Amino acid sequence: MAPAAAQMPDQPGTSGAPLVALRGIWKVFESVTVLRGIDFDIRPGEVHALLGGNGSGKSTMVKILSGAYQPTAGRIEVGGRAEVLAHPSEAHAKGIYMVPQEPHIFPNLTVLENLVTGLEGERAEIRRRAGEVAREIGLNVDFNAPGGTLSIANQQLVEIARGLMRNARVLILDEPTSSLTRHEVESLAAQVRALTRRGIGILFISHRLDEVLEMSDRVSVLRDGRFVLSAPTAGLTADRLVEAMLPEDFDNGNGNGNGMGKGRSAPPPDAQGNRPSPAPVLEVRNLSSLNFSDVGFSVHAGEVVGISGVVGAGRTELAEAIYGLDQTAQGEVVIAGTPAPHRSPRISQELGLSYVPEDRHAFGLFLTLPTTHTVSASLMALRGARFMKPAQEISLTRRFVERLRIKLASPLQPVRTLSGGNQQKIVLARTLAPEPKVVILDEPTRGIDARARQDVYRLIRELTAAGMGVVVISSEVSEIAEVSDRVLIMRRGRLEEMPPGPVEVDHIAAATFGEAASSGEPGGGRA
Amino acid sequence: MSRIVKSREFLVLVLLVAMILAVSTVNKAVLRPITLINIANSSLFLMLIALGQMFVILTRGIDVSVGAIAGLSAVVFGFALNAGLPLPLAMVTALLTGTACGMVNAAGIVLAGIPPIIMTLGTLGIYRGLMRVLTGGSWIESIPHNIKALAVTRILNVPLMVWGVGALVILVAILMHKIRWTRNFYAVGDNSEGAYLLGINTRLTRFVAFTLAGLFSGAAAIVFVGQIGFVPMQTGDGQELKAIAAVVLGGVSLMGGTGSVWSAVIGALFLTAVDSMMIFLRIPGSWNNAVAGAVLLLVVVMDYMIRRGAQRRRLAARAAEMLRADDTDDGAGGSKSGGRSGATAGAAGPVGGEVRP
Repeated sequence: MAPAAAQMPDQPGTSGAPLVALRGIWKVFESVTVLRGIDFDIRPGEVHALLGGNGSGKSTMVKILSGAYQPTAGRIEVGGRAEVLAHPSEAHAKGIYMVPQEPHIFPNLTVLENLVTGLEGERAEIRRRAGEVAREIGLNVDFNAPGGTLSIANQQLVEIARGLMRNARVLILDEPTSSLTRHEVESLAAQVRALTRRGIGILFISHRLDEVLEMSDRVSVLRDGRFVLSAPTAGLTADRLVEAMLPEDFDNGNGNGNGMGKGRSAPPPDAQGNRPSPAPVLEVRNLSSLNFSDVGFSVHAGEVVGISGVVGAGRTELAEAIYGLDQTAQGEVVIAGTPAPHRSPRISQELGLSYVPEDRHAFGLFLTLPTTHTVSASLMALRGARFMKPAQEISLTRRFVERLRIKLASPLQPVRTLSGGNQQKIVLARTLAPEPKVVILDEPTRGIDARARQDVYRLIRELTAAGMGVVVISSEVSEIAEVSDRVLIMRRGRLEEMPPGPVEVDHIAAATFGEAASSGEPGGGRA
Repeated sequence: MSRIVKSREFLVLVLLVAMILAVSTVNKAVLRPITLINIANSSLFLMLIALGQMFVILTRGIDVSVGAIAGLSAVVFGFALNAGLPLPLAMVTALLTGTACGMVNAAGIVLAGIPPIIMTLGTLGIYRGLMRVLTGGSWIESIPHNIKALAVTRILNVPLMVWGVGALVILVAILMHKIRWTRNFYAVGDNSEGAYLLGINTRLTRFVAFTLAGLFSGAAAIVFVGQIGFVPMQTGDGQELKAIAAVVLGGVSLMGGTGSVWSAVIGALFLTAVDSMMIFLRIPGSWNNAVAGAVLLLVVVMDYMIRRGAQRRRLAARAAEMLRADDTDDGAGGSKSGGRSGATAGAAGPVGGEVRP
């Protein structure tokens, strides 16, 4: 596998004066130094990828570049001249536009209003320009529909259009692919190439190394507020990037976050599908709802079942139906041997099934309370406990902090102050505290960095070793390949099991993205 | 056209007409023009403070001091008239009082960062207290008669005040349409962070919204004094909640970003009409509040059910479309983001089904 071989023949980014440059930027928050004198630039027509783990200073750097933060020291040059970007609108005026990870859409305003809000000038002219820009970037939607009806991919196009309407020369794309389907990623990649041909410089932020290698001209890796790697993409490998992102002392023996084609380091004792018949901890039979039909599968103690599927295939809806969040689904669910015809989150948890949804904020992270409150919440709710000694809470939290390598100054620190990866780990801690028999993890590593990802994978292995059943739902094929003993493919609301045998990333990709499962080709040719 | 028919404002208007027609089967007198004119006339005060409230709620704020601002402005108006100020000048004084009160709210909320509900609860007490301090607790009577003339004068049998407020409403509606800056009220309420990042001055927008709430409350005070000819201590008491109820009924979401001038107008007319209908049905007036509250809940829930039904149908249609599109779509390879992504929108978008409480 050498995705880097698909490099563009010409290197448009290597020539030309930088559109924007950071020179010796420092940023200090109270007593914490986040950026330590970094240099960075974006040239016309190039895609410059920015990589970095949680807490590396990546988002701080982007905020400085987009005018949301002011540097403590150092200067910002736009077109060679030193500038102060005191407000995002000043960055816009100087041709820098940031497309945030979660696009800022006005759900109740029309698409057109979403495009033109904040722009000055002749109204008819602006509308005409909005139509023009939308056509250029392939935003083919009803301009009078409410913004809230747009798909995430189209919401991103709206953001890109906003930037283009402000005559942006530099577009910052913050994790643009994290919630896109494969098709949408490809079409975004095509848009990015079209933009660079017009001389626009792109700052591309992603955790997905294969995309970085595929789409960028240069890569810079930020770690602890310094650049540890900055080089043309040609000649770089995923391993090299992961190595740069991880702290020096990290044991990188077991694969990496991208793990293309790598199976699990320790295959389960009976990979051939004929297990020594422990009772399944979760059985689903003939389950149907609006979003999927006639789904059936089982999970045994000590195994990881991966469910691969694109966004919209019905994966999350399936998980919610099993867990009892969607009570309209019809079918049989047996949790740890107990049939559960009427399920609610509470009943499911009492029977031993836990669920960690994709959106961690929706699942009761108590953001402003001490971390201990979140960690102990499920446990206390299930035991009907009214009291738990603070010392017990703290030691419970400490146990998980150690096990999950959560970066935490104190167990009493508010969850709000933690990074995304650490918040996700807190949700896992919370879910695991009552020791469920089977747990469903929906996109467990969405938006977290390579290292936190490895911690989550390691935890999944520990859980199964201790006899828990785990269901991992993911749209990242490499993740499914990395953690699963058995793989199920969710497509168009139907669930199929991959034939037994070694878990191969190519086969999963093919089945997930819509080609015959028997074909060896990965879905949708690489550009 | 279909957008108008589907709007909440239209639904409430239809219910208003239906209610009046239903009551007319019991008591024909309801349909006499004078009845309808009287309903409009008595809704003016509520309509004006609701209009001010609308701006605030559009930006996802709330102002519970508008009734007190109207009361305080009425007191100042009464003093100004009794001091012999010419009517137009006295009116300006009332408007300035309202505007100043609104700006105090705005300053506390926008500059000092006090949450709207807390700031306006505080100023509700302060403004109402000031009314008592200024008057010593007694009503302002013996107001010159020229102000009452405003209320008594009729053109085509419709009171001058109804014409005046009607013209004002239309003017505001036109301005809301013509001045693009007013879209900022919607943008700030719909997604404040997004509006900020797009360069909208969100603080100024919210400041203007609270100031307008004060201005319209001052205008309401003029109508009030004109209609009854004196200023009792209870002027504007409890009207803040009625104004919130009126705009919510008319379709302004407390979550910000939706609604229109017509929400305030139709909401105020509806709530006033409910009171009148009670009289025609010979139901004791003590029932008024309970019935108005029940109607509010009924309309909001009904609107929610209609919207949820529509969303479900849309989702089901999308699911079907997705199943069909999938076979043809995949082979084509790099399809444009249109067809397939539409299918995910239903699951992802926070659309439609939301209750607009």
